[in-house]
Amino acid sequence: MAAKKILVADDESHILNVVSLKLRNAGYEVVTASDGQEALELALSEHPDLLITDYHMPQMSGLELCQKLKQDPATAKIPTIMLTARGYQLDERDTEQSGVARMISKPFSPRHLLSTVNEVLMEAAV
Amino acid sequence: MRRGRILSILMLICVAGGIVCFAQSAGEALRGGRRLQLGVAGSVLFVLGAGAGLAAIATLRRDCRFLIGAVRRMTADGRLKALQTSNPEIQPLIAAINDMVEAADQSVSDAILKMKELEIQLKVATAQRQHAEAIIYSISDAVLVTDTFDDLVLANESAARTFQFDLEGTRRLPVDKVIGDEKLVELIRDMRQSNSKSGRRIVEHKVKNDREDRIFKVTLSAVADNNDLPAGVVAVLHDMTREKEVAEMKNDFVSSVSHELRTPLASIKAYVEMLIDGEADDEKTKREFYEVIQNEANRLSRLIDNILNISRIESGLVQINKQPQSLTVILKEAMEVIAPQARLKQINLVEQLTPVFYQTLADRDMLYQAVLNLLSNAVKYTPEGGTITVQTLVDEAKRKVIARISDTGVGIPPKDLPFVFDKFYRAEANNHMANGTGLGLSLVKHIIEMVHRGRIFVESHVGKGSCFGFELDLCD
Repeated sequence: MAAKKILVADDESHILNVVSLKLRNAGYEVVTASDGQEALELALSEHPDLLITDYHMPQMSGLELCQKLKQDPATAKIPTIMLTARGYQLDERDTEQSGVARMISKPFSPRHLLSTVNEVLMEAAV
Repeated sequence: MRRGRILSILMLICVAGGIVCFAQSAGEALRGGRRLQLGVAGSVLFVLGAGAGLAAIATLRRDCRFLIGAVRRMTADGRLKALQTSNPEIQPLIAAINDMVEAADQSVSDAILKMKELEIQLKVATAQRQHAEAIIYSISDAVLVTDTFDDLVLANESAARTFQFDLEGTRRLPVDKVIGDEKLVELIRDMRQSNSKSGRRIVEHKVKNDREDRIFKVTLSAVADNNDLPAGVVAVLHDMTREKEVAEMKNDFVSSVSHELRTPLASIKAYVEMLIDGEADDEKTKREFYEVIQNEANRLSRLIDNILNISRIESGLVQINKQPQSLTVILKEAMEVIAPQARLKQINLVEQLTPVFYQTLADRDMLYQAVLNLLSNAVKYTPEGGTITVQTLVDEAKRKVIARISDTGVGIPPKDLPFVFDKFYRAEANNHMANGTGLGLSLVKHIIEMVHRGRIFVESHVGKGSCFGFELDLCD
């Protein structure tokens, strides 16, 4: 079975690096994007199995990215985990409607992120 | 009096006798012309009676004149006195009049006393009302007082200004004719109709003005009169626009700060956990992780310093020590400190400084911090091999000294230029160039403008470079 492909979008390069390394070490294939626009393009071309995105990004916020992905049948099924430093300010309806499976607030634990990734992929497989 | 009565009786007898004799003689005459003497007697009696009658009327008139004269004299000097008479005939009348006069005198003096009391009460009440009005006029909150008919009874200047009406001509007019704010009129009416005697209601209300919208805290109170019946409504409007703005700014600041603090913290936490979990297997990766942790910890510490410095300056808590300083000297010191970083990027540092004897009254440490922030920004946003020019200019006529720090860096897009001194504002286009705190330029602005009463400026062209500078007063 081929490794699952995960797209990670964050404008903070440190976060991008740490998440990528954690996921790669766990055997996942990782593609990275440093803003929403780039992530949208990669989602269409790379067909990832999962998206991990930051909420607060230049050009396009994580929520806008999710809404755009949801509108396109080719990407509508990609489960998403959203990282945010202000999760409490996001409307739950918005995140639910945009197909966000889990919210993880920053500062976060890479260990916890990895277990969440495993969980979400399991759920998607069922 | 008695003489008058005798005369009257005499008069009546004579007149009656006269008439009888006259009538009989007239009858006799008709029957045959006899008994002429009877007619003469009748006539004499009649004349006598009439004379007595006239005498009685004259007496009555004299008594009346005496009474009128006496009463007139009595009232002429405005004081009531007891009447005196030696005429026994009118003695009872005089006594009755005197009794009446005494009674009237008593009630007049009672009334005068009462009036004086009322005058004093009125004065006290007027003074109290004026005092209350003066208090109401001096209140900076807008005050509107209406009665049970929703007529405006009282309003102060602040109310007139807020609702743009004339204070003089609008008293006793229906409140909806005075203020155009339907919502407020409705609130007043509702309060009045609630028939409450001591109710109170506080609502937030936006007042639309042709200049701007303002937010008021409206306190509506139902007031009762002395008999505990509803007497009207008092509306006090406290302008809380500024308070709201400050609260919002504070809220924004706190949420920005917590976001900005969390970002480096998130990196530190994640990298430490990675090291603990043994995710970094080779030395090179480990070293990289340690460096990230160190840099992010430094960033966190700078952020905290900047937040503290800015809030200290804003709250006026910071100790300012102003002495005559040479801007040239301060710029040279800062350039020496920044030189190693510039050298690393092969950036050429050029100085064009005026002689050191031009002095400005400044807090050395703060001004040094401001200059260092501007220089460090210039180094961050200038690509390798660029040039940074540090310049001072003196305008002797205006007694000003100007510092300019120009770079050949990436420049700032025009849309971002007006906001570069705002807290946590970072031009998106240049975000990748440096991991700044978003507070550096805000701190510089605070130091130049709030602490030194100077002027800060920025000029920039994308792709060509930026020039940050400031102007301070020269001192003698």
